[in-house]
Amino acid sequence: MKEKGNQKKALRKNILREISRTKSRFISIFAIIGISVGFFTGVKSACPSMIETAERYFDDNYLMDFSLISTIGFDDNDIDEIKKLDFVEDIMPSYMADMIVTEGDVDNVARVIALSDNKSKINIPMIKEGTIPQNDGECLIEKYYAKLAGKKIGDTIKFNSQDSSMLKNTEYKIVGIADSPIYVSYSRGNTNIGNGSISFYILVRPDEFSSERYTRVFIRTKASQSNFSAFSDEYKNMIQDESDILEELSFDCINRFNSETLYDAQQKLNDAKREFSEKKSEALQKISDGEKQLTQGEKELNEKIADGQKQLDDGQKEIDKLKQDLINARNEYDNKLSNAERNLNYARTKFENKSDEYNKMKSEYDSRIKNVQKDIDNAKKEFQQKHDIFYRQTKPLFEQQLDSLQSKIDFLNAQTEIAENSIRRKKSLGLDTQKLERQIREYQQNILQYQKQYDNLSDEFSDYEQEFINAENLFKSTEQELENEKSNLSEKLRNARNQLDSAELKLAECQAEYNNISSTGNFDVKMLETEITIGEKKIRQGREKLETEKQKAIEQLNSAKEEFENGKKEADEQLSSAEKELSDAQDKIDKLQNAEWYIYDREDNPGYSGLVEDAQRVDNIAKVFPLFFLIVASLVCLTTMSRMVEERRTETGTLKALGYSDRDISLKYLIYGSTAGLGGCIVGGIFGVTTLPKIIVDTYGIMYMLPETKIVVSQADFFISSIVAVMCICLVAFIACRSDLKLNPATLMRPKAPKPGKRILLEYITPIWKNMSFTSKVTARNLFRYKARFLMTVIGVAGCTALIVAGFGLRDSITVIGDLQYVDISRYEQVYALSDSGTSRQKQDIISKFRNDERFDTAMLSYMGWSSDTNSKKSNISLSARIVIGESYDDFKKMFTLRDRLTHTPIALDDNSVVIDERMSNVLKIKKGNTVGITIDNIPYNCTVSGITENYAGNFIYMTPQFYKNITGNEIKYNVIVTDVAEQYENSQHDIANDYMKDDDIITVSLISEQVEAIMSTLDSLNIVTFVMIFCAGLLAVVVLYNLTNINIAERVREIATIKVLGFYSLETANYIYRENIILTFFGAVGGLFLGSLFTGFIVQSIQMNNVMFPHIVRPMSYVWGFVLTFVFSMLVNFIMYFKMNKISMVESLKSIE
Amino acid sequence: MTKDFVKFENVYKRYKMGEVTITAANGVTFSVDEGEFAVVVGLSGAGKTTVLNILGGIDSCDEGKIIVGGKDISHLNKHDLASYRRYDIGFVFQFYNLIPNLTAKENVELATQICNDYLDADTVLDSVGLSERKNNFPSQLSGGEQQRVSIARALAKKPKLLLCDEPTGALDYNTGKNILKLLQTKCIEDGMTVILITHNSAITPMANRVINMRSGKVISNVINPNPLPIDQIEW
Repeated sequence: MKEKGNQKKALRKNILREISRTKSRFISIFAIIGISVGFFTGVKSACPSMIETAERYFDDNYLMDFSLISTIGFDDNDIDEIKKLDFVEDIMPSYMADMIVTEGDVDNVARVIALSDNKSKINIPMIKEGTIPQNDGECLIEKYYAKLAGKKIGDTIKFNSQDSSMLKNTEYKIVGIADSPIYVSYSRGNTNIGNGSISFYILVRPDEFSSERYTRVFIRTKASQSNFSAFSDEYKNMIQDESDILEELSFDCINRFNSETLYDAQQKLNDAKREFSEKKSEALQKISDGEKQLTQGEKELNEKIADGQKQLDDGQKEIDKLKQDLINARNEYDNKLSNAERNLNYARTKFENKSDEYNKMKSEYDSRIKNVQKDIDNAKKEFQQKHDIFYRQTKPLFEQQLDSLQSKIDFLNAQTEIAENSIRRKKSLGLDTQKLERQIREYQQNILQYQKQYDNLSDEFSDYEQEFINAENLFKSTEQELENEKSNLSEKLRNARNQLDSAELKLAECQAEYNNISSTGNFDVKMLETEITIGEKKIRQGREKLETEKQKAIEQLNSAKEEFENGKKEADEQLSSAEKELSDAQDKIDKLQNAEWYIYDREDNPGYSGLVEDAQRVDNIAKVFPLFFLIVASLVCLTTMSRMVEERRTETGTLKALGYSDRDISLKYLIYGSTAGLGGCIVGGIFGVTTLPKIIVDTYGIMYMLPETKIVVSQADFFISSIVAVMCICLVAFIACRSDLKLNPATLMRPKAPKPGKRILLEYITPIWKNMSFTSKVTARNLFRYKARFLMTVIGVAGCTALIVAGFGLRDSITVIGDLQYVDISRYEQVYALSDSGTSRQKQDIISKFRNDERFDTAMLSYMGWSSDTNSKKSNISLSARIVIGESYDDFKKMFTLRDRLTHTPIALDDNSVVIDERMSNVLKIKKGNTVGITIDNIPYNCTVSGITENYAGNFIYMTPQFYKNITGNEIKYNVIVTDVAEQYENSQHDIANDYMKDDDIITVSLISEQVEAIMSTLDSLNIVTFVMIFCAGLLAVVVLYNLTNINIAERVREIATIKVLGFYSLETANYIYRENIILTFFGAVGGLFLGSLFTGFIVQSIQMNNVMFPHIVRPMSYVWGFVLTFVFSMLVNFIMYFKMNKISMVESLKSIE
Repeated sequence: MTKDFVKFENVYKRYKMGEVTITAANGVTFSVDEGEFAVVVGLSGAGKTTVLNILGGIDSCDEGKIIVGGKDISHLNKHDLASYRRYDIGFVFQFYNLIPNLTAKENVELATQICNDYLDADTVLDSVGLSERKNNFPSQLSGGEQQRVSIARALAKKPKLLLCDEPTGALDYNTGKNILKLLQTKCIEDGMTVILITHNSAITPMANRVINMRSGKVISNVINPNPLPIDQIEW
């Protein structure tokens, strides 16, 4: 024994170590089981939590089982009769009144409800703040409205005092804020005053009501005292039985009332009627006399006015003649002026032309003169140069040369003279003079030579001189010529200037003439105008005078008329008020004659039945999930456990070799799996139960006024799901290790051959395979290598996508109801309930009033009644359905669409059969041509069904008035008017309703738009379910993908290490694995889209109620979301895995195969 | 032929195992010339594999300098190390490390598809004598054939350096001999620098250079001027 203990101990240690070594694997099993169980249990607990919360609230506050209302009220005799019934536990006669409260310019209807008296304990309000009213004129106000309207304790509620007979006070001081258990939702019901709907309620002490008869009776019976849930069928059956007994009692009470009270009243009234008709004829005579006098006075006045008018007309004619003169004078003046203007313009044009011409000429000539002047200057300059050269250079040079020659000659002459003298002296002395004579000859010769030179030079100079004189002459003649040209040009310019001046003069003349005409002519015209103005003023004065007189006369006449009208009106009023008093009195008696008791139970409290339906809807959604989650969880566990068994192959072999039994070895995996599973169940369960019901119920709580949520754990669901989950995991563990345990230890200790590579089918399709890139080939082959994982991932991802699509699809299907039902199918917008007493003649009057109102497109007299027991032979369910009969088939077709849901083929009504809605046909299993059992006024009839029409909210039976007559034998009594408001008045529906509510024959108005809002707000809260689904889908996707990728990587560590050694970069390595993930995610997501659509259909089916059908619609965007979100989740996992892959050491690749 | 094509200078590598520090490389210094067939021998735990891992860029050293073809690889970052493995190193493993899901040819292509300059997969497989078995999966090949695919995969990348970690460790005598012959041929004919680690000192005569390691240190680095063809070695 001791040995065995040790053995077990070692094994236990092994298991504990296994868990701590493979934390992520343990956690993934833990998580997937936790999510499945937690989600399922959590959602499953929402419904019981909600119901329990509500039920406790009702019990703690003594909610009534019945609320009786009578058209004639109740007296103490009635109360005593009811008390005698054996099932009545407590009874509270009470009061109720609807009052109008005007705040700002808004009229609200407040329902005033009496608090319970001291004798009984029913409908105890839950005081949130303040105290219960103790004194006169105090009230409790409901919490929601107090918050909405900002009412605080100490504020007052003031009623319009028109009809205050019911209450002692018109003003109530708020002393407390409270919720009554009668109202669990925000709907306050309808009334027959104001706009027809109740805005809020207040609670006052019962002695505030001054009515002598009770208006209401609350009863608590054995049904709610019993142990049955108030929402159970047992309770409902008991209530039904009790209700039948109360109804019987009501007939007795009403009969008693008729025979005692009504008879006296009718006698008195008849006397009063007789007296009235005598007085009426007297008054009518007086009125017709007064009318005659008035007509005479009016005729005289009209004649006087006509005279004055004629005088004024003559004066007007004279003025008109003057006006004609004025027009003529003005024309003449205009002619003259325009002539002068024409002349002036001609002269101006001419002057301007000339001026232009002159300017042009002047600029041209000026430039020409300038040029000539330039020529002169040039010539002068040239000549000056020549002049300078001649006088400064040539002439002095020559003169100098000539002078030097002259002086040489003179010197020679002197020498000659001296020589001659010497000769003479020598001669005289007889000396030889030969030498001297030779010298003289020489001199003479020289002189001669010089003289010649001098002459030559002198000639040359005179040549130059001549040349210069010629040049001087030429210059002078040129200068003269140019001067002439210049003066010629100036002359021409002067002529042109003269012409221009004369044109200017002409222009000035014309201007003067024009100014003259303009001023004198204008004066004449002005004179005439003044004359006319004076004439017109006179006429105006005359007319005003006439008008004042006329006015005075008319005023006199009117005051006379008014006096008469007042008198007449007064008489009429007196007459009609007397008449009304009489008819009111008659009405009162009439109404009392058709007295009836209305027996309401809890279901008739606004919002009460919606509460249960909402709770059940959540419950139905929860039903869909477990199977799906369990499949995925099992698959995930299977792969995980198989992997683990495979990894521990050698260990299994060793243990086997050591002699451990198969049972002991497999126990390890069973314990591992079940520990993880059990842990997941507990943690997930606790987490799910503590969060989900609260989230869901609180979300609904927004629409219901319930106290703090009480969480009720659906224990059965928790245990069943936990047991199934743990069993699944054990089974999976057993399957995983069973195959290994069959082998012998030797085989086990040898490493398992890696899965050999295999050609895949795709490779044999050569054209495709050849064109694939290397990496895609690798990916393709890997995908098919691990088929189990392939399948797992695809299923897991598909599930995720399907959940998301279903989440969105659910919302799509629900939100579309509003449009389909109230836009496409029920196209009417208002239903006016008619009072019962009206004759068919009166009803025709009312409907013609509606038909003449342009605010309605269509208005139709209709019958809307309840077939309380609608059944068929094929089903044991009984529905209550609304019977709709329209007076005119044409109008009916405008407001009610009867068509096939799929084909939209219109369905016709005939006089031999009825048309029912699709939901009813499904619930009662009725097909076209079958018979439906209906109940009208408690009498059952069987009708043939000729058509099944598309319909989403409510159950309807449509028939023609003729058919009604055929089956019941009675003429139909229309009780409502159904209207379709014209498009431009859609927004003023309330105003229209208010207008018609003033009519006595109309009791209430229901606006379809308000019903739609109420329904849609209920359904909108299913959004939370959508988000829970998406959240779970995300968790699911992440866990599945994480787990599988984890296994994928673990199995291929060696492969990854090898490609890293080959030099793949981190991202390339990651992509090697990711490509597979992405492709698998893609397949999964695509599959999930189809699955999601099916899933939506399934959920939509299961949340349908007996009177609501949801269409199965998934918008394209929902598919897109499903697809995109799935990829986001997948990418998230890939991102996490990236780090894990980075951590793989390449040294792994070198290790020997395990 | 570059001298000191591969050079280890005072390389240290320490592993921390809990509180114990194991010094796997304790100041390793040696060098190998280009085109040489170098054999690193030593007993198990002598630090051969550590040296090869560091040289192959799949592990890093703590101290020292490693130069391969003039490039210091001791301080490369992760990405540069991957590039180094991709373009410069061919690795032959003891257990082949073929991807089981890829055929022989595809295993070679797996390496070449990330290189810029590479040999055609068919040519390489022909050159290692596997012309007939290109389209077989690893599981359909014998151990020797698998190792040939592994060598072909390493050679196809045109590496500068071929590193072999006990390439014959998992093979029988004759097959192992054939593999060594293939490596020797590649070294002699293509001038490939081959560094082979083994614990079997009997094969050292085939090498140009024999590096002997013990306890994380190089105890001898001997040049063998007359390497023997593998056929003449028996063990």
